[in-house]
Amino acid sequence: MSGGETYRLHVDGFPRTVSGAWIGDSLLTVLRDALGVTAVKDACEQGRCGACSVLLDGRLAASCTVLAADADGARVVTVAGLGTVGLARAVRATFLAEGAVQCGFCTPGFVVAVTDLLTRRPDADADELREALAGNICRCTGYGRIIAAVQAVQRDRAVQRDRDAR
Amino acid sequence: MLAGARESGTEVVLLSGGTDLVPALRSGERRADAVVALRRVQELRVRGAGADSLTVGAGVTYTDLVGWSLSPGLARTARVVGSVQIRNTGTVGGALGSARPAGDLLTFLTAADAEVLTASPSGPARLPLARFLAGGPAPGAVVTAVRLARPGGPQTYLKIGGRQAAFPAVVSCAVLVDRLRRSLTCAIGGVGRLPARMEEAESAAAGDIDWATGTASPAAARRFADLVTAAAARIAPALPVGPRESAEYRWHAAGVLAGRAFTRCLLPAATPDEPT
Ligand SMILES: Cc1cc2nc3c(=O)[nH]c(=O)nc-3n(C[C@H](O)[C@H](O)[C@H](O)COP(=O)(O)OP(=O)(O)OC[C@H]3O[C@@H](n4cnc5c(N)ncnc54)[C@H](O)[C@@H]3O)c2cc1C
Ligand code: FES
Ligand code: FES
Repeated sequence: MSGGETYRLHVDGFPRTVSGAWIGDSLLTVLRDALGVTAVKDACEQGRCGACSVLLDGRLAASCTVLAADADGARVVTVAGLGTVGLARAVRATFLAEGAVQCGFCTPGFVVAVTDLLTRRPDADADELREALAGNICRCTGYGRIIAAVQAVQRDRAVQRDRDAR
Repeated sequence: MLAGARESGTEVVLLSGGTDLVPALRSGERRADAVVALRRVQELRVRGAGADSLTVGAGVTYTDLVGWSLSPGLARTARVVGSVQIRNTGTVGGALGSARPAGDLLTFLTAADAEVLTASPSGPARLPLARFLAGGPAPGAVVTAVRLARPGGPQTYLKIGGRQAAFPAVVSCAVLVDRLRRSLTCAIGGVGRLPARMEEAESAAAGDIDWATGTASPAAARRFADLVTAAAARIAPALPVGPRESAEYRWHAAGVLAGRAFTRCLLPAATPDEPT
C-alpha cells in the first residue's frame, strides 16, 4: 500500500468506497471526514479515551489506532449500526433512564463497549465491568451512573432469561 | 521491498495492530510513504507448543494471550496491558518493534530469555532478545515470532504507573522460577532504556530458595528486593526523569515490585501464576 488507492469498508452494514485518502489516515479520520459517519467521536486520537470505539470484524477497537486502509474489506460497526432491537437497544435505553448520559460525548463509545462486553460476559461483576470499561473515559458522570446502568441491563436480561427458560 | 525502499529514501513502515504507529502518524511523530500491513498474514498469528518451547507469532494479540493456559505468565502479562481496545488490537510484533522501556511483554520476555525469529531478504534468523534489541532488526527484517521455554515453575508479572488503560507502566517487573534448572530470573523495565536483568539478585535468590519445596523465607524476599533496588540504581544510562517519576522513585518501585513478585512465586501462602 502506498499513495491514495481506493479501498472498501463495510460500515454499519453498507459498503462504502474510500478514494484519495492519505495512506496514513486512521479509521476514525476516514469515517468522520471522508464518509461523514459522525457516530464515532473524535477526542484524544491516542487510543486512550474510547470515544472512537467501534467493532472491527466483531472486536472492540479504538478506531483512531486502526489504519483505515488496513480495514479494507472489514466490517466496521459503530453505535449507529448496533441495531434497534435486543441488547443494543436495552443498553441505549437504560443509559438514558439511569442518567448515565450527561454531555453525551463519551456515550457512543460506551454503548459500543458495553454492548460488546455484555455479549461476551453477560454476568460480569462490578470489578470486571470497571476493568472492561477502563478504555472509555467519561469526564462528566464519575462512572457511577454508567456502572449502575450496565448493572440494570444485566438485571433486566437475567429476568428475561429466566422467563424464557420457563 | 523494505530493503530496496530504504536505499531510495522512501519511508516504508511495518504495520501490525497500529496502536503505536497510527496515533504517531496522525500526530506527525512518524512519517510513512508506504505501509506494509501484516495484520492479515495468518502465518504470523499462530501460537504453538513444542516439547520444551512455546512459539508466539508476531501477529498474536494480547487478547489472544490472555487465556493461554500453557503460559500463565504471558497470560498474566497480557491481561494487564492497556484496555480491551488496546489488547484486542496490539500485538507481539508491535511490542518488539516499539521496544518501550517498560513494555509489559518486553519485560516478561527479557526475564524469559526469549529468542526473536525474523525474516528478511537474507533469510530467516533467530537471535536472543537482548541481541535483537541492542542491534535492532537487520535492515528489511520482519519479526515473525518469539520463542520462549515452557514454564518450569511459578511466574508472575507486576507493574506500576498511571491509569493502565491509557498509559504504559512507569516501572515493570517479571519474575520466573524454574524448578528444574533451579534458577530464578528477574527483569525490571522503566529504569533504563530497555528492560534489564537483575543478575546479582537472581543468583542470590537461587541460593536462598529451598529447591526441595520451591519456597523461600520472607527474609529472602526482603534481600531480593534490596538487591533489585541497588541494581536498578546502577543501570546506565537511566531514563530522563519526569516530575512524578524521579529516578529514586523508580529504583524504589523496582525493589517493591520485585519483593512482591518474589513473594507471590515463592512464599507458601501466596498465589503465583502456576502453570496448569
Ligand atoms: C492507550 C494505549 C495504552 C497502551 N498501554 C500499554 C501497556 O499497558 N503496556 C504496553 O506494553 N504497551 C502499551 N501500549 C503500547 C502498544 O499497545 C504496544 O506496544 C503494542 O504491543 C503495539 O503493537 P501494535 O501491533 O499495535 O504495533 P504497531 O503500532 O502496529 O507497531 C509498533 C511498531 O512496531 C513495528 N512493527 C510492527 N510489527 C512488526 C514486526 N512484525 N516486525 C518488526 N517491526 C514491527 C512498527 O513498524 C512500529 O514501529 C499502549 C498503547 C496505547 C495507545
Ligand atoms: S479518540 Fe480514539 S481513543 Fe480517544
Ligand atoms: S457524559 Fe460527558 S463525557 Fe461522559
